[in-house]
Amino acid sequence: MSAPPEQVTITIDDRSVSVPKGTGLVESALQAGIEIPVFCYEPRLGPPLGACRMCLVEIEGLPKLQAACTLSAQDGMVVRTSATSAQAADGQEGVLEFILLNHPLDCPDCDKGGECPLQDLTLRYGPGTSRMVVQKRTFDKPIPISPLIALDRERCILCYRCTRFSEQVAEDGQLVALNRGASSIIATFEDEPYRAHFSGNVIDLCPVGALTSTVYRFRARPWEIQNVPTVCAMCPVGCNVWATTREGKVARVLARNHPEVDGGWLCDKGRFAHDHLRAADRLTEPIRRIRMRGLVAVPWEEALDAADEGLRAAGASVCVAFSGGETVEQADALSRLVRQGLGADVALLPDDPDPALDAFRAPLAAIRSANVCLVVGDEPVLERAPIVDLWLRAARRGGAEVVTVGPAGAIAAPPGSAAAICAALAASSPPEELRELARDLREADRVALVWSGDDDTGGRHLAGLAAALELGEGSGAYFLPRTPNGRGVAQAWRAAGDGRGIDPSGDEALGALIVSGDEALRDTRVVALADRARFVLTTAMFMNEAAGQSHVILPGTGYLERDGTVVNLEGRSQRLRRTVEPPGWDELAFFAQLARRFGVDVDPWTRAGVDELAALPARSGTAPVVAAPAARGPQRAAGAGGDFELVRYRALFSGAAVERVPQLAFQRPAAEVELPGGDASRLHIATGERVVLRSGEVSRELAARVNRRLAPGVARVAEEHADGLADSVRIEKA
Amino acid sequence: MAPRHVVFELAESADVTRLSDYERAGGYESLRKALAMEPAQVIEELLASGLRGRGGAGFPMGRKASFLPKPDQTPKPIYLAVNADESEPGTFKDREIMLRVPHQVIEGILISSYAIQARAAFVYIRGEYLTEYEVLRTALEEALDRGLVGANILGSGYSVTIVLHRGAGAYICGEETGLLESLEGKRGQPRTKPPFPAIAGLYAAPTLINNVETLATVPRILALGGENYAKLGVENSSGTRVFSLSGNVARPGNYELELGMSLRDLIVGIGGGVPGGRQLKAVIPGGSSTPVLTADELDTRLDFDSMARAGTMLGSGAVIVIDDRCCMVQLALRVAQFYRHESCGKCTPCREGTRWMVEIIRRIEQGAAGQGELDLLLNVCDRILGRCLCPLGDAAAMPVASYVAKFRSEFQRHIDEGGCPFRGTSSLEGVLAPVDEHHARARARIEVPA
Ligand SMILES: Cc1cc2nc3c(=O)[nH]c(=O)nc-3n(C[C@H](O)[C@H](O)[C@H](O)COP(=O)(O)O)c2cc1C
Ligand code: SF4
Ligand code: SF4
Ligand code: FES
Repeated sequence: MSAPPEQVTITIDDRSVSVPKGTGLVESALQAGIEIPVFCYEPRLGPPLGACRMCLVEIEGLPKLQAACTLSAQDGMVVRTSATSAQAADGQEGVLEFILLNHPLDCPDCDKGGECPLQDLTLRYGPGTSRMVVQKRTFDKPIPISPLIALDRERCILCYRCTRFSEQVAEDGQLVALNRGASSIIATFEDEPYRAHFSGNVIDLCPVGALTSTVYRFRARPWEIQNVPTVCAMCPVGCNVWATTREGKVARVLARNHPEVDGGWLCDKGRFAHDHLRAADRLTEPIRRIRMRGLVAVPWEEALDAADEGLRAAGASVCVAFSGGETVEQADALSRLVRQGLGADVALLPDDPDPALDAFRAPLAAIRSANVCLVVGDEPVLERAPIVDLWLRAARRGGAEVVTVGPAGAIAAPPGSAAAICAALAASSPPEELRELARDLREADRVALVWSGDDDTGGRHLAGLAAALELGEGSGAYFLPRTPNGRGVAQAWRAAGDGRGIDPSGDEALGALIVSGDEALRDTRVVALADRARFVLTTAMFMNEAAGQSHVILPGTGYLERDGTVVNLEGRSQRLRRTVEPPGWDELAFFAQLARRFGVDVDPWTRAGVDELAALPARSGTAPVVAAPAARGPQRAAGAGGDFELVRYRALFSGAAVERVPQLAFQRPAAEVELPGGDASRLHIATGERVVLRSGEVSRELAARVNRRLAPGVARVAEEHADGLADSVRIEKA
Repeated sequence: MAPRHVVFELAESADVTRLSDYERAGGYESLRKALAMEPAQVIEELLASGLRGRGGAGFPMGRKASFLPKPDQTPKPIYLAVNADESEPGTFKDREIMLRVPHQVIEGILISSYAIQARAAFVYIRGEYLTEYEVLRTALEEALDRGLVGANILGSGYSVTIVLHRGAGAYICGEETGLLESLEGKRGQPRTKPPFPAIAGLYAAPTLINNVETLATVPRILALGGENYAKLGVENSSGTRVFSLSGNVARPGNYELELGMSLRDLIVGIGGGVPGGRQLKAVIPGGSSTPVLTADELDTRLDFDSMARAGTMLGSGAVIVIDDRCCMVQLALRVAQFYRHESCGKCTPCREGTRWMVEIIRRIEQGAAGQGELDLLLNVCDRILGRCLCPLGDAAAMPVASYVAKFRSEFQRHIDEGGCPFRGTSSLEGVLAPVDEHHARARARIEVPA
C-alpha cells in the first residue's frame, strides 16, 4: 500500500484549506465551500482543456489571471476568486459577456432553460446588460445529428465537452469541431448520423441547450418534473440513473454517477428506451383465453382465480421460465410459489452464473486502474455490458495492456474456447501464442479478467485463472451475465428450495408453464415448452408477444414501474425505485396473492432498504481449483471453402423495449454478417455485398461486412438476424 | 573583428545551397566539432552565446534545451521540433534562410538534436512555402546521401532522423503547442501549459521547439565559440538578427544586423527611408502583433530590452513602416480581421473577442459608432489581454489597443465626422483582409422519426 499523499495548505478567498497534494484548484475550493465556476472543465473527460476561461482566478504572485481548472494546489498558494478579487470578477464577467455575445438567449423555448449552467453562472457572475449592438452569428437550427440528438449551433458555447467525450471517452471519433475561430462549429464526421452506443452522454455533458434529446425535446419544463433516483435494469451493469417524470410518466432518463459502477455514463439503451412504457401495444388488463371466445379482458380477481385453477390442475408438473429482468423480490415470490406452494422444481434460468467469482469480486471501476486486462468469450463486451467497454478503454488510455482472446480478439481463438484459454493461461507452460500474455498477467500488479459469453460455467473457469494468478485486492474478475438481473433471479430461485432444477428438455406433457416476462416469451426453448403445456400463465408487457399459446396473460411492468432489488454483474444489490405507476397490479402483488392461495406467505412489497449508492459486498468464498477442460487450443485452421463457424451475439439495441422506440431504430444491428478479411477476399466478397448463409434447410440473405479482427473461419451475426441457422454455416455470394 | 553577418555569412560570397559548396565554405565543420563534444558541452556553448529564440518570444535557447530530461531520465524518446511555419504578417526571414542556407538549417538541427540527444527532428514548414520546402528537401536528400543525417552520423554513434512536415495554412500552428497538435495529426489548437513541451511535448515526449533562424545560428555559434558570439550585439541581446523590413520604405527586404542598432539606422540608413517625400507615421517593430511606435520613437534600439522599455517587442523581427497616408483605424481593422480569421476558436476571449473587435472597429471605420464604442473597444481588448489560453488573443488586442492609445484623435475623428477623415485616400483603402471564411457548411440529412 502506498503512503497517504502529502497534504498541502492553500488559502482561497482568505479561507485556508488543507488538501492532498495534486488536488485541483476547483476541487480544493469546493472543499473550502467556495465555487469556482466552470464550463469546459470535466475531469471525467481527461486532462483539463483550459478552453472556456470561465474559471479565471487571481493567484498571488502571478500577474495574469489563471485558469483554475488547469492548476493544482501548491503549498502556500493564495487564490482569490471573484468573491474577493475585482480582477477575477472582471475576468469571469468578461468571459460570460463574450459567451453571451453570440448566444441566442432563447431560454423560453430551450429544453435546458431552468437547469442550465449558463443561465446559473450568468446570474451569479455575468453582466446585467449587453453592450453588443452588432449582429449575432446565426446558423441553421436545430440540426439533427442523429435521430436521437438535435444540435443547435447558435446555443453552443464551444466548450468541447461533447467532442472530447466522443474522442477521449467513448473513442468513437464521430463528433468533431469544424472551421476555426468564431466560425467554429460542432458537427459529426462527414455529416454521418452519430451512431454510437454512448451518444446520449453528450446531452448530459452539454452545459447549454445546444445538444438536446429528440425524445425529450419540448416534453417538460424543469419546474414541472421530478427526478427520481433509481438504477437502470436494461443490462447487467446496473447504471445509476435519474428517471425524470412529468405527470406520472417517464419523460427522460439521465445518468446519476455511481463512481464504482458507471462513472456517470449511460448507454443509449438505458437513456432512451424508456418510451417503451408508452407503447401503443402495451397490455393494461389481464386477459384470459375463453373457449369459443378467444382472448378476453377480465378483472384481476378473475385472472387470479383462473391462474389458481390452472396451476392446481397441473399438480407438481410445473415449469417456470424467467426473463432475468425480474427483481429479486419478484423472482423470490415466483420461486416460492413454484417450489414451496406447488412442489415443483423446474425452472428455465436465462443465467445461472457460477458464484466462484465472488472470491475475486471488485468494483467495475477497478478495471480502470488495472495494468493488464484480459477479455475472453465470444460476445462483444460492448453489446453485453456496454459500460464495461468504457472501463476497458479507460484502462487502455491509462497505459494498461488490454487483450481480447476470442473469435474477434487481438489473439484469435475459435468460438467456445474461452474455458480452454483460461486453463491454458493458468497452466505452468502455456502454449506459444499465449506465453507473453501469461507472463504479463503474472507480473502485473493489478489485473482485470472479463468473461463475455453465454457459458454459465465461465465464472468458474475465470476464477480458476484468477486463483492461479493469485489475484489480490485491486484486481477483479467479472463474468458478464446475459440478462440484467440473471444473477439475482438465479439466487432467488436457489434460495426458495433445495431441490435441483430438472432439465426440462424431455418431451412429456407438462402440467403448467409459467412464463415470466417478455424476454422469456421470446426464448425458443420456452416456445417449445409451451407446446407441451396444458396450461400457460404468462406475464408480459406487450400483446403481440404474449398471445399465442397462453391461457392467462397478465400485463407486466417495466423496470421503471417496479420497486425491488436487482443484482448487477459485480454482485452488487441495487434498489430499483418505482418512478411511475404501472397500469395494473405489479407481478409481485399478483404472485404474492397467488402464493398465499397455495399456503406460502410472501410479502407483496419490497423490504429492502434504499441506498442512494449501493456498496459492493465483501469478497466471499474461496477460489476453486479447476481442472483444465479438454478443449481446443487458441489457434485453428482457416475455414475451408465457404464453411464458417457462426458466432451470434445479442445486440445491445435489441429486445422488446428497443423495438418500441422509433428513435432507436437506427441503432439496431443491421442485417449483416461479419466476415474475416482473409476469408472474404478469398471468396471475393466485399463489404456491402449480399451473401447467403445456409445450414441444412435454412438459409438467410444478409449484407457482408469485412471485419479484419475476426478469426479465420468465423462469421458473426447479431442473434436477431441468425434465426434458425446452425453453428456451422456455408456462405456464398447471393 | 567579428563579422557583421552571422546567419548569412557563408552565403555572402558564394551560392551555398549545394552541399559541396556549403562544405567548401566551411559547412558541417561545426557538426563535426559538436559530435566530438559531450552533448552537455554543446548546451554550455549555447548558454554562453546568450542566443535567444528568434521565433517571437525570445527565450534563451540554451536554457530551454537544458530543461529537457536527459535520455537516462525519461523512458520516452526525445524530439526536436523546428518551427518553420513563419506566418506573422510582415515576417519573411525564415524563408530566405531556408532558401539561401538550407544546409546551415540542417546542420543547426543536427547539432541541436545532438545536444538534447533527440531521436528525431520534425520540421513543420508553412504549407505555402513550396519552394522553400523543395530546397530544404533537396538539401536533406544530399545530406542523407552523405551520411550526415540518419544512422550513426559521421561515425559518431549518434543517430537522428529528420522529417519534413508541411502545414496546411493556419497561423496558429506556429504557436508551439498548436504546432505539436498539428504534427500529431490533430486539429491545430494550442494546449494548456503546464505540462511544458520540454517535459511532455510531441506524443507526450520531451520536445525542444525552436525557430528556423535560431537553429540556423547554432552552427555559427559553434564555429565562433559561444563567448565570441556573445560579444556581438548588446547586453541581453547578443548576436545578430535577420530583420524583415517592409511597408512604405524605399528598400524593403531582409537585413541581418547586430542587435542594438536603432530603428532609424534600419529604416532610414539601410532602408532608404520613406519614399516619395512622404512622412513616416508609425512603425510596427516586430510583426503585426507588436504594439506600434510613432515617428518620435524612431531612435528606439532594436534589442529586447530597449523594445520592452518602449512598451513593445522585437517579436519576429518584422519591421513594418507606415507613412502618413495610412488610416490607423483601417490598419486596426486589417490587423483585427487577420487575428479574428486566425483565431483557432478554442478559448472564449480570443474566439469571441476578436470577432467583436472587428465589428466595433468596422463601425468606427464606417462612422457608425457612438462615442462609447471607442472605450468599449479598449475594454474588449482589456478583457482579452492576459486571459486567453495562448498568446494569439494578446496578439490581436495589444496592437489594436496601442493604435488607439497613440492615435486616439484619429479614431475620435471617425466618430466625430461620421466617417473616415482620409475620405478614400488611405493607403489601406481597398486592401482590407479577405475574410470570407473557407468553412465547411454541414449538411443536415439525418431523419428524425416522428
Ligand atoms: C500565435 C503564435 C504564432 C506563432 N508563430 C510562430 C511562427 O510562425 N514561427 C515561429 O518560429 N514561432 C512562432 N511562434 C512562437 C512559438 O510559439 C515559439 O515560441 C517559438 O517557435 C520558439 O522558438 P524560438 O525559441 O527559437 O523562438 C508563434 C507564437 C504564437 C503565440
Ligand atoms: S455542443 Fe454543447 S458540449 Fe458540445 S461544444 Fe457546444 S456547448 Fe459544448
Ligand atoms: S488565444 Fe485564440 S488562438 Fe490561442 S487558444 Fe485561444 S482561441 Fe485559440
Ligand atoms: S473551466 Fe477552466 S478553462 Fe474552462
